[in-house]
Formats: sequence, structure tokens, C-alpha cells
Amino acid sequence: MLKMNNISKVYQTEMVQTHALRDFNLHVDEGEFIAVTGPSGSGKTTFLNIAGMLEPFSAGEYLLDGIDVGKLNDNQRADVRNQKIGFIFQGFNLIPDLNLYENIEVPLRYRGIKTAERKRRIEKCLEQVGLASRAKHLPQQLSGGQQQRVAIARALAGEPRFLLADEPTGNLDSLMARQVMELLEQINRDGATIVMVTHDAELARRAPRNIQVVDGQLADFTLYQGAQNLKNVAGA
Amino acid sequence: MLLHYLDLSWRSFKRTPLVSFLMVLAIAIGIGITMTSLSVYHMMSADPIAHKSSQLYAVQLQVMDDGHTWWTSDNLPLQLTYQDAANLYKSEIGGQRLKMVRSGFSVYIDSDTVKPFSQSARLTTPEFFNMFDLEFLYGEKWSLQQEENAAPVVVISEELNNKLFAGENSVGKIIYLDDASYEVVGVTRNWPLTIKYYDLNNGSFNDPEQLFMPFSLLEAKQLGNWGNTNGWKHEDVRSFSAKLQSEMVWIQFWVELTNEQQKNDYENYLLAYMQEQQKFGRFNRKELAYSIRDVNKWMAYNNVVSQDNKILVALSFMFLAVCLANILGLLLAKFLRRAPEVGVRRALGASKRQIFMQHIIEVAMLGLLGGLLGIVLAQFGLLGVRQSYSYYESLATMDLTMLLSAPLIAISTCIIAGLYPAWLVCKTNPAIYLKSQ
Amino acid sequence: MMLEIKPIFHALCRSKVGALLLLIQIAITTAIVSNAAFIIQDRITYLNQDKGYPEDEILAFHVMHFGKDVKSHQQFELDEAMLRALPAVKDAAYINNIPLSGSGSSSDFSINSAPEPGLSARTAYFFTDDHAIKTLGVELIAGRNFREDEVVVTNDNDQRANVTIVTQALLNELFPDEDGLGKTIFLGDIPMKVIGVIKHAKGPWLKDSRPNNVALIPYINPNISGNFLVRTAANERANIAKRIEDEMLENYNKRVIIRVRGLDQDKAQYMAEDTLMMRMLIVLITILVLVTALGIFGLTLFNINKRTKQIGTRRALGARKSAIVNYFLVENVLICSAGLFLGAIAALLLGQLLMKHFSIAVLPPSYIAVTAIMVFTMSILAVFGPAKRAANISPSIATRTI
Repeated sequence: MLKMNNISKVYQTEMVQTHALRDFNLHVDEGEFIAVTGPSGSGKTTFLNIAGMLEPFSAGEYLLDGIDVGKLNDNQRADVRNQKIGFIFQGFNLIPDLNLYENIEVPLRYRGIKTAERKRRIEKCLEQVGLASRAKHLPQQLSGGQQQRVAIARALAGEPRFLLADEPTGNLDSLMARQVMELLEQINRDGATIVMVTHDAELARRAPRNIQVVDGQLADFTLYQGAQNLKNVAGA
Repeated sequence: MLLHYLDLSWRSFKRTPLVSFLMVLAIAIGIGITMTSLSVYHMMSADPIAHKSSQLYAVQLQVMDDGHTWWTSDNLPLQLTYQDAANLYKSEIGGQRLKMVRSGFSVYIDSDTVKPFSQSARLTTPEFFNMFDLEFLYGEKWSLQQEENAAPVVVISEELNNKLFAGENSVGKIIYLDDASYEVVGVTRNWPLTIKYYDLNNGSFNDPEQLFMPFSLLEAKQLGNWGNTNGWKHEDVRSFSAKLQSEMVWIQFWVELTNEQQKNDYENYLLAYMQEQQKFGRFNRKELAYSIRDVNKWMAYNNVVSQDNKILVALSFMFLAVCLANILGLLLAKFLRRAPEVGVRRALGASKRQIFMQHIIEVAMLGLLGGLLGIVLAQFGLLGVRQSYSYYESLATMDLTMLLSAPLIAISTCIIAGLYPAWLVCKTNPAIYLKSQ
Repeated sequence: MMLEIKPIFHALCRSKVGALLLLIQIAITTAIVSNAAFIIQDRITYLNQDKGYPEDEILAFHVMHFGKDVKSHQQFELDEAMLRALPAVKDAAYINNIPLSGSGSSSDFSINSAPEPGLSARTAYFFTDDHAIKTLGVELIAGRNFREDEVVVTNDNDQRANVTIVTQALLNELFPDEDGLGKTIFLGDIPMKVIGVIKHAKGPWLKDSRPNNVALIPYINPNISGNFLVRTAANERANIAKRIEDEMLENYNKRVIIRVRGLDQDKAQYMAEDTLMMRMLIVLITILVLVTALGIFGLTLFNINKRTKQIGTRRALGARKSAIVNYFLVENVLICSAGLFLGAIAALLLGQLLMKHFSIAVLPPSYIAVTAIMVFTMSILAVFGPAKRAANISPSIATRTI
């Protein structure tokens, strides 16, 4: 479903060239749950941004659900983001002046979904994350864990092809973190593809497939599939 | 602590120079415009003779028969008839009093260097100089005896004295007015008057007259009136003496009343006078009316400060409110962006009050800078006003009161604008800002 | 294009202060500009009104004699003749007061002789001679000019003229249903037959209650002082002005020639305060509009700074750049509309206040409408730049942890 071939990302400042990603290769199949780990500065965030089409890449090829991302213009990228990807951010990124219902509504409005359909989806997703009763509340009235659950509902409401999660439990205590992880696992069992970036090794172990980004390149550790430990291997 | 806050304020300005400059500019523009219209208003409404303005009264009598109206707000004529002025002058009630009228002449002296020119003159009884506080450089006013005899004497101003006699003591010298000669008996000091409050009929902001002569010369020499003459009655007025006897109003009359008692007595006297005149068929009215107005009331009644001025002042203050709103917005932006720093300060022990004071001082300093810049802008504004017409020469200026008011208004405006943002920023919970990085 | 009006409105309600400030500014600006524009328009009309004279061709000056040997009867005729003989002078006339100067005489002219009651009208009158029509450059639409023999030159206060030339406005007032030419009107008890009608002319006071009622009376009472009017070509006027004093003094030198000036200069002085008011108002509303525009610009920039994370998130969630621009435009339109609504009410109230206290006419709604459109346009323009900047915020901001 997601194919990255020889992706490179170079940041150019006045004098210095930084290669954030180098010859990065990754294949993700439908229904997979992948944890992406790596030391800080390794390029995890850059990978995330490129996977989510939040940033353009410098070289290589990125195919998302058959679409060649490199050939899209800005508006097309926005549309694909909206329709194919569900984001879950470390800082939740809920809009403080909107209540929960309106927050979840944001990506749906951009897609042009009609009011009635929006209502159906939002109520379903709020139900799914267990916050249906608080639809009219503002984000600051909720705990961190609850806010993240709303963010997940927001990501789900668009019925995306895959979820992209950035340190989803980074700002939560261990109890809430566990709850969120359980929710993600449930969603994955229901058929969603999940790519999760995290620095928490404990958390990463819960995902069926692990990938490590080191110095801008990929090292694939497939823990539960019995494959050998390989370093710097181009994706399988 | 104050100095410390001032230091903090200055640093804060330097940190966001553009925003700070915009705020100072906003205040400066608001102050500049407000002070321009306010200064003109202030000069126009200033009390010209503050220490006795409440004791000098202009007298009006409703001399018309029933059925006649006047264009004034209370239907009273602005001047008296010649006869009424003469009668009131003779009365024993009330303090000093004068009657006067504006005239004018061709002026020349025995000289080859000074060309004849035209000059307006004031024909008045000699109380004028005492009542309106004119001082003498040389000589003195003419005596009551000279007034009675219509002596051909004249008092000239310092400016006229400079023009005719090169500024020397000209008492005793002769000047020619039209076809007659007059002796100079006194030279008055320069009379810096912004508003010609004693006679508002022919231009409230013109310069006062430079020639003063006994009122009795009016009749003696049948001199012309350079002021306004208004009639309400159909009369056959073809000769000068007919004019003196007529019901036309053209003489100004002032009386000095030093206390409440004297004022009441005078008012009673006026009523009694009119009742007595009714016996001669004059004041043919059911209800008699009169008015005595002190200097400030007289100026207000005559609309010295025009409606236009008042409108401009009102609009200027509304404009200042808009600038205030602008600044409020900018202050909110600025202060709230600094919330993390405030959090740290509070954690280090600053009380809410100290945070509040710090920000208010900063806002006050903003006001001070804006006020000072505003004065500069106002000077340009006033320069523009002076260009429009010469009589604004002395009106469109900022006196000491205005110069001090400018920063005062600026600082108060800014403090009012800053109250809400300052309160907002000092009530924030420091913990929030210390946590999130 | 999508308009997310409802959520934008809700968001505004939850962080009211910025929006309120802008709203207030827009409301006050609308109120002030509507009324100020109306006053300005009123003044412009007043300042540009047709006075009826070719002002830039006419000179006026005042003469005061002090010589005892002056033969006033003849002197003024000699002066007129001398003036008319100057090159480039079209005509000259002796007159007791100067039109547009702010100084003159007026009285009630009636259809009946005083003291009989009857329809009367306040009229400014000028004592002059048969050269006045041409010197003043006014148009006679009926009747004729004075004949030389009709001009009464006398020192005897009992002698009077018995003909007059008046403006159409005066005849319209005194004889609304008939032709006034040939009728007799009365100044007090003095009868005068209307032998000529002037199309349009103004008296000495433009602010008079009846500025268009003017009567010319062929009566000269030459005494020690009087006024002269001289008509020249506009480009010759300055030269003539320089020569007049010398020429007049050469004719007779025991007199003072005062205030040689053009008729337009007199008018400018009389109108000085209105001109000033108009200029100050123009400055005021220009700066006001600029300040409000800057306020909108600045506040929008501030909002964008405050919401950088939110904008990045929206982009990440699939908003196109145009959607971001729209967001700020819609937000601005909402605030602006509310502000204009309040502003329209405020404008009406302010108009009422000005009408009550300062005798200004009632504010026509068209001024509010035009002002509102202008403020709205300016507001959109002011927000556009910052909105475009906001649209360029990268979606990758959403993943930053600061």
C-alpha cells in the first residue's frame, strides 16, 4: 500500500547541507501495524513528515495506494492527505476554540462531506473512543488521555487508508498510554493500517513489525515473523 | 523599583522594536490630531481676563415692541440704542461702566516718511482702560472732564506709536484723523488679546483697535460707525441726530459688578428703567426682558467657539478611541506573547501586583513617548491651521496647559488601554508556562 | 470553495477580545467617516456654489478721503473715468459695499409701503451706478440697465432713487405667481420700480438667510469714503492691482486707498473657517481609515502567529492553501459585518446628535452605505496579505513539538 523507493531528503541552509534521509526504502502492506523507532536526530520525524506528505522529498519515489506522490501539486497533496491518511500527533493538536464535535469535523469539512453524513461519522467515532457524551466540550476541559482519544477519533472519521501516529503516548502517563495503545491495537484488528513513530522501546515491542531509522536510513527488525536481523537492507 | 520597571520597559521596547514603534505611532497620531483641534478650541474658549471675568458684564435690553424677534437665541439684541446707553451710563447703580462704538479714520501726521493710512478706532468712555486692564506706557487716559467736553484727544497703542513716532514718548504730539487734529494724551502697552471679547460684532479674533478716543466725539463730530447697526422699527432716519434718537441698536455697554448684591441691585435697576421708559411709549411689550452676561457667558452666547470647532473636538476624541482600541489589541498581542517570561517571574516570587505594576509602567512609558511625539505632530497640524487664515495666528498654538495635557492624555489613554492586558497577563497561572517547552 | 461559517463563528465567540476590538474600531470608523463625509460634501457644495460673478476678473478697493477740499460729487466720476481709461479695464463702478466681502447692508423689501403690512423679503442692497451691471459681470435676463439720468447723485438725504434692478430670486419670493418686472417694491416707504432682473447674484454674506436676494439701487451719496469695483481680464488683474493706488493718488492725493484685492480673495477670507473645517475632516477620515486598516492588518498577523500550530494542523488534515486563506477571509467578513452593522447604527445616532446640537442636516443613508462598502473593501484588502502568509505555513509544523 505504501511504497517508498530511494527516498532522500536534503535540508539546505546557507553553508550546510543536511541529509536527513538517504536512500530510504520501505514497503507497508495493508493491515500492518508498524512501529518506527530510532535515536533522536535519526530522521524519524522527517520520515513521518514525508510519509504524511507534510513535506516534499528531494529524490526518490513515493507511491501511496498506487498514487505517485511526487507528481502531485500542493492542492492534490492536500486532498490525498485528507482522504487517505489519518494523523495522530504527539501534542494532540486539537483546536482549542472548537469543541470536540467541531474538532473532528475539520477534516470532514475539507472533504466536502454533507452535514448529515458528517454527523453520522462523528458520532460513530466518538462512540468508538468512548467520548460520545462529551461532544460539546472544549479540549481544555479534558485530560491528556481523553484529548488523544479525540485526536484518534478525528483521524478515524475520514475512514483513511492508514493511520500515521507520531509518539501517540508521548505526553501521557503510563495508565493512559496503555489505554491508547489498546485502542490502537483494536483499530488495527478491525483492519486499519497503522504506522507509529515512537522512541519508547516498550511500546514498540507491542507492534508486530518494527523498523529502525538510523542516520537517515532504514533498518528493518521484524520481531515476530522470525526474519533475520539485518542492517541497511533495502525493504522487503 | 520604579527605575527597575522603567529599565524593563525600555528593554521590552527594544526587543520588539516594530510593534513598539507602531504603538507609539498610533498614540502619537491620535494625540496629534486631538491636540490640534483641542488647542484651537482651548485658545478660543480661554478666559481672556481671568481675574475679573466674572465681574464684567455686557448689558442687553429687549428694546423691540411685541411681535419683533431677533436672530439671537433669546431674542435680545446684542447692542443698545444710543439713548439707552446714555441713560444707563448716567445711573448711580452698579460699579464702573462704559459705552463705546467702533469707528475709523484716515490717519496721518506731519511727516514725509509716514504715508496716510486707514485705521479703526474705538470711541469709548475712559473707564475702558481700567475695566479691561490696559496699562499705559506713556501718559494716561483722558479725564471725565475731557470726556464731557468732547476734547479732541486720543490714546494710541504701542504699535501705532512705533509706526508714527518711532516709539518715543508722543504725549502732546498731534495726529490727524480724517480732517481734524487730535492730541495724544497716552500710549497704551501692547495688549495681547486673542479674542476681542469686549466687541464680538466684527470679527472675534481680529486685533484690538489701536486708537481710543472719547465717546462724546461721536456726537460732536458726527463720526461714522464701523460696527453693526441694526434696526427693528420702521423709522425715518435721514440725519445723524435722527439716528441718535432712533431705536436702532449700535452701542456696546459694559458694567462692572463686584458682588452678588450689586448684581441683584443692577438687575432690578434695569427692570425699573425699562418700566419707566414704557411711559414714553418705548419697550412696548407685555413682558420686559434684559440680560447681563459676564465675559465667559458673553463669549459662549456669541458662539465664539464655532460649532465646527466643537464638532472637530468631539470627532478627534472619537478618533482617539479608535487609536486606543488599536493599542489595546497590540498590547494584548505583546503581553500574551511574554506570558512564559511572566510565568518564570511569578515562580521566582513576583506577586500579581508587581507584575501588574511592571506592565502598567511599561504602558505609561509608551504613553509618554507617544505623547511627546504627538506634540510634534500637533505642531505640524497647528502649522497647517495657521496657514489657512491669518486670524488663526494666535489661536492655533499650544500654550503651557496644552503642552502638559498632551502627555497627560496620552499616558491616561494608554493606561486605560493597558489595564485589561496587564490584568490578563498577571492572572495567568505560571505553572502552565513553566511546563510546556 | 467552502465556507465554514458556523465553526468560525463559534471559535470567534470563544476568544472574543481580539474580535471585539476590531469590531469596535470598524463601528467607530464607519460612524465617523459617514458623518464626516456628509459634512465635507456639504461644505464642498457651499464652497463651490455659483456666486454669480466672474470673481477672478474683479478688483475691489476702499477709498477714504481726508482732504477738506475734495469735491466728492465730481471726484468719484473723475476716478471712474480714470479707471475705465486704464488699459485692459473693461469697466469700473462706484459702490457702497462689496459683494461676498462679509460686510454690507440689508433690509426687508416689501410689496407695500411701510408701515402697511405685506409680503416682504430680506434683501441685500447696493448703492451704485449704471456701470455696476457690466463691472459685476452679472447677466440681465429681463428688462434693462439703469440709464445715466436715472442715477441719483446727491448729498441730500431726502432724495432717493426710484428704480431698481433685482435678482430673480427676490422676485420669486415677492411675486411668486407673476412676473415681477415692472412692479414697484418698497424699501421702507421708498418706492422703486423694478426695471431689470438679474439671473443670479449673491450678496455680501454667503451665510445669510437669503443670500440670493440682491437689489442694485442707482444712488450715489458721495462722502468721505466709498468703494470701487474694477473689472479686467483675469490675467491682467494683477498688473492693474499694482497700479491702482498710484493712479488714484495721482488723481487726488489727500486720501487713503485701502485693501486693493480681488473679489475671490474676499470670498476666500469669508469662507476660511469652512475651508479649514473641510480640510481637517478630510485629514481626519483619511488617517482614521489608515489606522483602522493597520489595525486589521496587525491583529490578523497576531492571530496568525497565535494560531500557527492550528494552521499547520489544518493543512496536515487536508486543508488546501485556499482553504486557509478563506478561513481568515470569512472570519474577517464576520467581524466586519457585525462591526458595520453596529457602525451603521452608531452613524445614525451620531448624525442625530450632530443634527440636534450643531444644526447639520439629517445624514442621508447613502453615506452610510457607501462608507460601509468602502470599509468592507479596505478590511478585505488588509486581511488578504496576512492570510496569504498564513496559507504558506508548512503542514510539517504539526509534527513539531515546540
